[in-house]
Amino acid sequence: MELVPAVFPFIPLSIVLPLLGIVLIVLLEEKFAKWIALVFSGAVFVISLVSLLYFDFSQAQKVQFYQSITLIEELRLNLSFGADGLSYLMYILTTLVSFVAICWSIRDHQINHRLKEYYAWFLLSESALVGVFTSWDMLVFYVFYELTLVPMFFVIGIWGYKLRLYSAYKFFVYIFVSSLFFLLGIVSIAVEHYRQFGKFSFSYFDLLQNQYSLAFGLFLFLLFFIAFAVKTPIVPFHTWLPDAHGEAPTAGSVVLAAILLKMSTYALLRFNIGLFPEVAVFLMPVLVLWGIATIIFASWFTISQSNVKRFVAYSSVSHMGFVVAGMFLLNKEGLRASIMEMFAHGLTSASLFMMAGFIYNRLHSFNMQALRGSIRFMPVFAVLTAITGFSSMGLPGGSSFWGKFLTIMGAREYTLQLALLVLAGAFFSVLYVLYLLKTLYLDVKEEGRLVHFTDVRGFKLVAFLLVVVPMLLVGLLPFLFFAFFDAHIDLLLKMVLKSLGGGLWN
Amino acid sequence: MELKDLIQIEIPRLALFVPELVVLITGFVLFSLDLIYKRLSHSLAISVSVIGYTLALLYLVFNFDLRGETFYGLYVRDSFSSLLQIFMILLTIILLAFTLQYQRFKKSLYGEFYYLLSFSLLGGMVLASSYNLLLIYIALEAVSVSFYILTALQRRDFTSKEGAFKYLILGGLAIALASYGAVFLYIYAGSFDLRQVLHFNAPDKSFLILGLVFFLFGLAIKIGVVPFHFWLPDAYQGAPTPITAYMSSVGKVAFFAPVLRVMPLVQEGFHNTWVLVVGTLAVITFLYGNFVALVQKDVKRMLAYSSIAHSGYILVGVSVASAIGLKAVIYFLLAYSIMGMLGFLVLAVLERSGNWENKLEDFDGLKHSQNFMAWVFAIALLSLLGIPPTVGFLAKALIFMSLAYGKLWWVGILMIVGVGVSTGYYLRLVVLMFMKEGERRAITNPTGFEKASMVLMAVSLLILGILPMLLWNYISPTSEMLFRR
Repeated sequence: MELVPAVFPFIPLSIVLPLLGIVLIVLLEEKFAKWIALVFSGAVFVISLVSLLYFDFSQAQKVQFYQSITLIEELRLNLSFGADGLSYLMYILTTLVSFVAICWSIRDHQINHRLKEYYAWFLLSESALVGVFTSWDMLVFYVFYELTLVPMFFVIGIWGYKLRLYSAYKFFVYIFVSSLFFLLGIVSIAVEHYRQFGKFSFSYFDLLQNQYSLAFGLFLFLLFFIAFAVKTPIVPFHTWLPDAHGEAPTAGSVVLAAILLKMSTYALLRFNIGLFPEVAVFLMPVLVLWGIATIIFASWFTISQSNVKRFVAYSSVSHMGFVVAGMFLLNKEGLRASIMEMFAHGLTSASLFMMAGFIYNRLHSFNMQALRGSIRFMPVFAVLTAITGFSSMGLPGGSSFWGKFLTIMGAREYTLQLALLVLAGAFFSVLYVLYLLKTLYLDVKEEGRLVHFTDVRGFKLVAFLLVVVPMLLVGLLPFLFFAFFDAHIDLLLKMVLKSLGGGLWN
Repeated sequence: MELKDLIQIEIPRLALFVPELVVLITGFVLFSLDLIYKRLSHSLAISVSVIGYTLALLYLVFNFDLRGETFYGLYVRDSFSSLLQIFMILLTIILLAFTLQYQRFKKSLYGEFYYLLSFSLLGGMVLASSYNLLLIYIALEAVSVSFYILTALQRRDFTSKEGAFKYLILGGLAIALASYGAVFLYIYAGSFDLRQVLHFNAPDKSFLILGLVFFLFGLAIKIGVVPFHFWLPDAYQGAPTPITAYMSSVGKVAFFAPVLRVMPLVQEGFHNTWVLVVGTLAVITFLYGNFVALVQKDVKRMLAYSSIAHSGYILVGVSVASAIGLKAVIYFLLAYSIMGMLGFLVLAVLERSGNWENKLEDFDGLKHSQNFMAWVFAIALLSLLGIPPTVGFLAKALIFMSLAYGKLWWVGILMIVGVGVSTGYYLRLVVLMFMKEGERRAITNPTGFEKASMVLMAVSLLILGILPMLLWNYISPTSEMLFRR
């Protein structure tokens, strides 16, 4: 992989600025906390947009804005930051969603105590998440990956709903223990680099040169995979997610669903396929079927939920099924679908969780039955929800359409049966969104209680618009986003083909 | 041949030995002060100790490159001994910041406290700088005897007596075993010098194995390796809390020092036995420590078991007898000495509040009553758990790395289990402190010195985690040097 040095330290700045914000929040009075958080996360968002002007799309496969500081020379442990097209897309998603989460929190009734800490944790999580998507040293990646746990643990545990302590524990233990396997995997490949090249290295670029026998590669692949399967999550490992997402405050769920889940799919793509292409090919049928099973099972679970937040949480699992299935199809359509779905789900899930939070603020209930017809007196909210719902469903023009459509296309390249299976998954995911929309729009009950509701406005409207507008953008102008990662996909497929020594496809 | 050729008189190079001398003199000054004054004032004793230790520390820091052997090879000064000694002295100075208030609170008038501290520190420093079994034996005794008395210092407290008694008996057993081991090793090689013993190549290695087993089992009792750990939780719980902090940090560094000196000398011949024996002990130790810590209701006892678990992690690195393993182990040991000490010191301060029993319930909503202490304790706990970017994380990562180097995958998987279990009890405390709404209660405020020391330790946990080269650049050449011996 080629590196392009940074003209301006956009990425280190986006990591350091939120930390500065934390310092200010700690030093100043509580009433300023929210505004400091808003300003700093807004500034990071602006920085990420400005850096768009400097990003060279014709070379999106190269790692741009690259900067590196040596930590331990002997282990070649570097603090290196940079972004290729894929990282860059995730970086923008992070800054966008973090800003949205803070915008939302400012007028959230739920957040009424310990404000200083609350906003400090959100800034820390933003900083760590930017670090995750832009670091090119495996151990540093792991540091940021684990660091994202701490803020979310506190956010769920302090500002969550009734079962918050249980959920916070469960979230932390599941993710922490599973990612220890990932840590063992990282150090193993660093040591393997020493065995093959006489020098330890944690640098991703160095580690790409390692060669593994199939058995050892499989072992390492599984070490990585355990961590990401729990975090993504794939169906039998998903039980932490409904609890964590269901009990977290709205903004916490937004960050959790929109970015934290993407960390692991990003890592699957970057590490599991990038470092062990042979093993990925070897396990491809299993993983694709596993992804499809996740879609179908999670859709069924979703329909049976009565708590609207858990409903949205389970729908996230089914979307992640598309991401995993598409990714391990290992062809251009599949990978495109996977990355598009990652971005699109970041937007739709953020919007859906804000929807749930908004309704809770009005009704003080997450019960699906209590929501009947609640939309009628809030026209703006109704429009926003409709756009989100149809996007999430995968209606053509909606953001998730490309994820689903391209996955089906990718599957069709292998066999018709596989494509039909994906289609079945897509069918169920349509079903649950329609069920939600029907409950909100068409069921009418207790009108008198609903008349006094105020519509979405102010900061909440800004938060909604910030995710709904890009949603339309993804749906209507997908080629804008393909430009980010098409080059990376070509590179990845070339690596996969090379590892096979030619043929298989052609 | 004339007599003068046979007997070579060596003039001791006292320059190598200055820090120990300074600490020794400090100890004697404190001893005489205690004799002269009927009631030795704590502040006087503390200031004398701090001055003495600071002098020793400054000498060490400014003469870090000092190398050499003296007393006929009994005493070795190299970067390993200097590094460990710097940490031991620093931690002792930090400890002294916490003793004054604690002693006043316990209405303890014992002047012994201070000179025993000096003598145990001296023993620890010598342990870090000798290859000679005899000297190691004497230093081991110096540390242990001081610890027995320090543990029993609150003689009206039942747990203190109980802990000290158990410690004394098992400690005596340990010393006996270690001396047997030393004798067997002497029979094997005709020398007490570990370098000569382990490089000696006799066809029959049975006495070597026997001697090493006895010697290391003796040390294992001192360190608190399962199944030789029975004294540890009681002694740690019963001892005055600052002393617990001292034993878990300086004591641990001191007792591990000879093990780390032996580790590079392990020969090809019994390398596999070493890996199996030490690896198994390590696994049992950290699994036992973590599982038992999980069910403790008393936080001090819980931290004691966590200390056992950490000995297990260190032994994991020791079992991989390679340079990377040694680096990982030294890093881990020094990191643990800071975070383990910080954990106990927080308890030492909290204990001064009324009605405080170190029970889990006492920590309910601590954040609301004592924000500063809660944060410091949280940092210590997260570091013990190994959450980045604290130093505990990097230390664990390095241990994992040495495992991958030794291809000990089974130990790696079991260590994940152990760390996973430890999540339960460390996290429980964080949850209690930050997420439970306990009643607000009067908790003692730490004094300025205490606050400053705790901030220093907490910040160093973060700094060493973010900028690991600060420590690594000293550890790496040190372990390479030990392997060249």
